[in-house]
Amino acid sequence: MKNKIKYPIILYIALLFLISSVKGICQNNVSEINVLTLENRLMFGNYLYKEHDYLRAINEFHDYLRFENNDTIRFKAADCFHKMGRLDEAADNYKGLFFNSTLMSEARLAYIKSKFDERQFASFRNLVVQKTNFAEKYTHEIFRLKNITYLLDNTFLPERNEFIESFPQNYRTDIENFYNRKLHPEYKSPVYASILSAIIPGAGKIYTGNIGDGITSLLFTGVLSYLSYTNFDNDHKTRAWVFTGLAGYFYAGNIYGSAASAHIYNADVNFTYKSDLEQFLNSVNYFLPEFGFLK
Amino acid sequence: MISSISAQYNLEYQYNLAERLFTAGDYYDAITEYKRLIFFDSEKKYSYEANFKIGQSYKAGAKLDESIKYFSIALQNSNERELEFNTKIEIIKVNILRRTTLRAFELLKDLESSFRTTEKRNKITYWKGWTYIFQNEWALASIEFQKLDNCKELINICEFVEGEKYSVLFAKLISYILPGSGQFYTGEYLSGTMSLAWNFLLGYYSINAFVEERVFDGIVISNLLWFRFYRGNYQNAEKFAKNKNNKLYNKQLEYLQKNFIGDKP
Repeated sequence: MKNKIKYPIILYIALLFLISSVKGICQNNVSEINVLTLENRLMFGNYLYKEHDYLRAINEFHDYLRFENNDTIRFKAADCFHKMGRLDEAADNYKGLFFNSTLMSEARLAYIKSKFDERQFASFRNLVVQKTNFAEKYTHEIFRLKNITYLLDNTFLPERNEFIESFPQNYRTDIENFYNRKLHPEYKSPVYASILSAIIPGAGKIYTGNIGDGITSLLFTGVLSYLSYTNFDNDHKTRAWVFTGLAGYFYAGNIYGSAASAHIYNADVNFTYKSDLEQFLNSVNYFLPEFGFLK
Repeated sequence: MISSISAQYNLEYQYNLAERLFTAGDYYDAITEYKRLIFFDSEKKYSYEANFKIGQSYKAGAKLDESIKYFSIALQNSNERELEFNTKIEIIKVNILRRTTLRAFELLKDLESSFRTTEKRNKITYWKGWTYIFQNEWALASIEFQKLDNCKELINICEFVEGEKYSVLFAKLISYILPGSGQFYTGEYLSGTMSLAWNFLLGYYSINAFVEERVFDGIVISNLLWFRFYRGNYQNAEKFAKNKNNKLYNKQLEYLQKNFIGDKP
């Protein structure tokens, strides 16, 4: 009798065990993945980071960092802010890695780069000179960044040889070229252009490369002056004064236009220089190392 | 065992979560959850739906380039003709919205050659009409809508715009003949009067100079002054007509956006 009761119970227990085992196997099935485990959030965050979806990547990284301390992920979160141009938040996040971190030096370098990206170059140079929270490991890179600021803002350039030698050998020709363009920009003088146009209408515009405008100015001013002369000569006083007024107006406009043309020319020189320089610096990543742990 | 089951976040649950967010209009979070779903969906079971919904979410957030990117990925993952058609239509709608209408027409032409049923043809015609609207070709849009049933409202709007709009060519032409008349035609009376007066005065001076045999004066006054005002007159008439038309088009598009109940891009 006892055995009759025992067997069904054993059978039931065995069946329960079997079901739970089968369930355990099913947990590995793709349709039952726990996507919100820490590990999975991290994997998803890294995927978003690679896809350049930085805003969403930050959320994943921050949720991961609430439970796990991981310097690489802290760095990546800061880098996300940096790449989105949220420089203050990037700097604050880099600061969190300044002490007791394996990525201390890298964080300090990235912090310096975030300060560089603020484009307040005078205060940036002060920051580098003061060497506060300085990354000794990347001294060359940081001083190179400081030197780059001289090419980008309106201060005087440092001594040529010392400046150029701070850059890698194979890029020194390019750097020297930018150094020369900064030192001797091919500007046109607005004063000189105005004087030229005052002597020969349109000459100032031709000097700044606007040949068509220059010839038009010469023709307009010349023809109107001639008309005023002939009208005075033939005693058509009213018309003569109208043409004199017009000639004076075009003459003054031609002088003003030449000065403006020189300013526009100079602005174009500045723009081309900065655009070429930025393109070059981006192509060499501002001479900063690429960190393998970010890939 | 119960606790292990409750801890499960299966992909179906993830899909439903993303769907709920999408339905609630929380597009930012919906995109995150659809992307999470795609990342963990190794069997690509939800590839089509998730990418399609990401495309729709980006579209709702006016990120049209991103929207097209995800609709295109969805298109690659569509394994049914119906899904392929619907996705292509979505891509066309986004192209209409971002005013890349030439691309929209290319895609519509491509659809026309692939799908030949009446139902599909009607849809293609419908979206061709909308493409014309966004190309400011309201008359052509009306012709397309007339091929379909139940497009009365759209036809009326297209015909209203066509009737109300100013003819840019006409404005320019009458300004050639009588300076200022193009401005009068577009309702810019002050500008028209000024234009007429300047042209009359300078025309008189020029002709008078020739009559009095002051040929050089005549050439200079007519070239340097009269013709400049004459050119300004017809250019202004053209500009006024275009500006007024653009205002009319934008007003009607706004009306369609807010009040039209049927399918719209």
